[in-house]
Amino acid sequence: MYTMGIDVGSASSKVVILENGVNVVAAEVIQVGTGSSGPQRALEKAFEVSGLKMEDMTKIVATGYGRFALKEADKQVSEISCHAKGIFFLVPEARTIIDIGGQDAKAIRLDNKGFVKQFFMNDKCAAGTGRFLDVMARVLEITLDDMAEYDSRATEIASISSTCTVFAESEVISQLSKGVSKENIIAGVHQSVASKACGLAYRGGLEDAVVMTGGVAKNAGVVRAISRELNREVIVAPNPQTTGALGAALFAYEEAKR
Amino acid sequence: MSKYETILSQLKDVAANPKKAMDDYKAETGKGAIGILPLYAPEELVHATGYLPMGIWGGQKTITKARTYLPAFACSIMQQVMELQCEGAYDELAAVLISVPCDTLKCLSQKWKGTSPVIVFTHPQNRGLEAANKFLVEEYKIVKRKLEEIVGEPITNAAIEASIKVYNENRAVMREFVKVAADYPQIIDPVARHAVFKSRMFMEKSKHTALVKELIEEIKAMPVEPWTGKKVVVTGILVEPNELLDIFKENGIAIVADDLAQESRQIRIDVLDGEEAPLYRLAKVWQRMYGCSVATDTKKYRGKMLLDMVEQTGADAIVVAMMKFCDPEEWDYPVMYRQFEEKGVKNIMIEVDQEATAFEQVRTRLQSFVEMM
Repeated sequence: MYTMGIDVGSASSKVVILENGVNVVAAEVIQVGTGSSGPQRALEKAFEVSGLKMEDMTKIVATGYGRFALKEADKQVSEISCHAKGIFFLVPEARTIIDIGGQDAKAIRLDNKGFVKQFFMNDKCAAGTGRFLDVMARVLEITLDDMAEYDSRATEIASISSTCTVFAESEVISQLSKGVSKENIIAGVHQSVASKACGLAYRGGLEDAVVMTGGVAKNAGVVRAISRELNREVIVAPNPQTTGALGAALFAYEEAKR
Repeated sequence: MSKYETILSQLKDVAANPKKAMDDYKAETGKGAIGILPLYAPEELVHATGYLPMGIWGGQKTITKARTYLPAFACSIMQQVMELQCEGAYDELAAVLISVPCDTLKCLSQKWKGTSPVIVFTHPQNRGLEAANKFLVEEYKIVKRKLEEIVGEPITNAAIEASIKVYNENRAVMREFVKVAADYPQIIDPVARHAVFKSRMFMEKSKHTALVKELIEEIKAMPVEPWTGKKVVVTGILVEPNELLDIFKENGIAIVADDLAQESRQIRIDVLDGEEAPLYRLAKVWQRMYGCSVATDTKKYRGKMLLDMVEQTGADAIVVAMMKFCDPEEWDYPVMYRQFEEKGVKNIMIEVDQEATAFEQVRTRLQSFVEMM
């Protein structure tokens, strides 16, 4: 039996196809999200990779910001529940999840059965999210993928004190004009993201293991900053961008078995 | 359309069209209306003048002009009120009554941009003392005198006593309505529940009482159906706009009790009967008020009150509707949160911003919350 999870986020579209609730046969990401061609292209890519087609899917669950816009879905489940489900499947010892996506950040507490005990989300503000990093990468004239490497070469962490993306951008420009190295500024940018995310995690109380997921988890500089701030090891979920879609595929499997 | 649907529709119309409600009242009585800002005021004094007391709790405007006078971190009710003032929306009011229990209200009261006369009064925060009652009586005497000057007639004790009766009855009927709404969530959804409360801000209270009484009778004649969704107690200043309440409905969430400043806090305390003068009994209401972020409470009773409400109503959880940039409410939240967690009561905070037009974050939070339960 095949089930599908599709996570239509604000910045990317992710599809996971699962065989019998265990084997991942496709996990595809397209870097554009809701309201774009992303969801359709992610579906097409997943079918191409798996050699399967829509009719083969017993159930489809949609999650993410665009979850209600996907007509193929049998059910919509929130991304909080889906990330929790996906992470617990991959890392059963996970008790705290930090998920940083394109436009929001979340801290989720799990119990030992993988159920959500409590969660906190950022308010309507781009600070501490993937969008914040996008803006900073543009100002610094580097790609998102290069940010972690720059961070690894930092000799100190520049102070990016503002919690507002717009003001932080002007702080970065000010640091650049003072001749502070891009490496140190990027370490400061990552520290700023970590401070926001950890603020959410502290509110729910921390319990090991701490697992990081969402697109920003691919940035090792942010992961290091979060680990430093929390003073503990942070596990990065395998293929972190697709854990929400994986959780959705697992929910679809449970739905199909009913 | 059944009778209860007709009444609900009537109340929803009033809630959505306060200007029409005011114009109708003027046409009917030949008297005007007096605006009343959040959170608490001796509305009975206004009612005793024969003028229509009109609640002023913001709106759903795009904020532009208000930015000239208020910082971005003023709460959205005050932003909306300022915007509407600048547009002249309140200029037909004979007066505007403003209490100043928070910093933003204090500042707003000093820079009213409308043309109506403003009557400002202060609630004492050291509420436990008898001196607080005496102080508030003096404040109410000033309010009364200014009202008399504006309407051109004295407000007699007999008129105040009659208004107290009208208001006590309305509060009692609304408390009954809250229970009925909890028993019949299929009929009284969150939007309808809010409309019944909101309409009381724009209607002469005895007329509102009569309609709500009729509504209750009609609903109670129907069988109680089991509720398969979740039940919550909501706390905060208000839950608006209706799009926000629709998300509760979409997720099968019934509001079985509330501690909203705009709703149940307004009907929590009656004016006691007694030998004392009516102004003194009106002032005592403030001393007896409890569980409100703007009324000093050194014992921090609000969390326990909400937990008791959960127990009494069989609610599954508490939803904290946090008015954006309302610091009195934000100060209460960590204390309440700890109390909820200690008792193991599920709870969630959602942000309320009257200017909002997109609600995806709240949708995600409430859907996740229901899934979590």
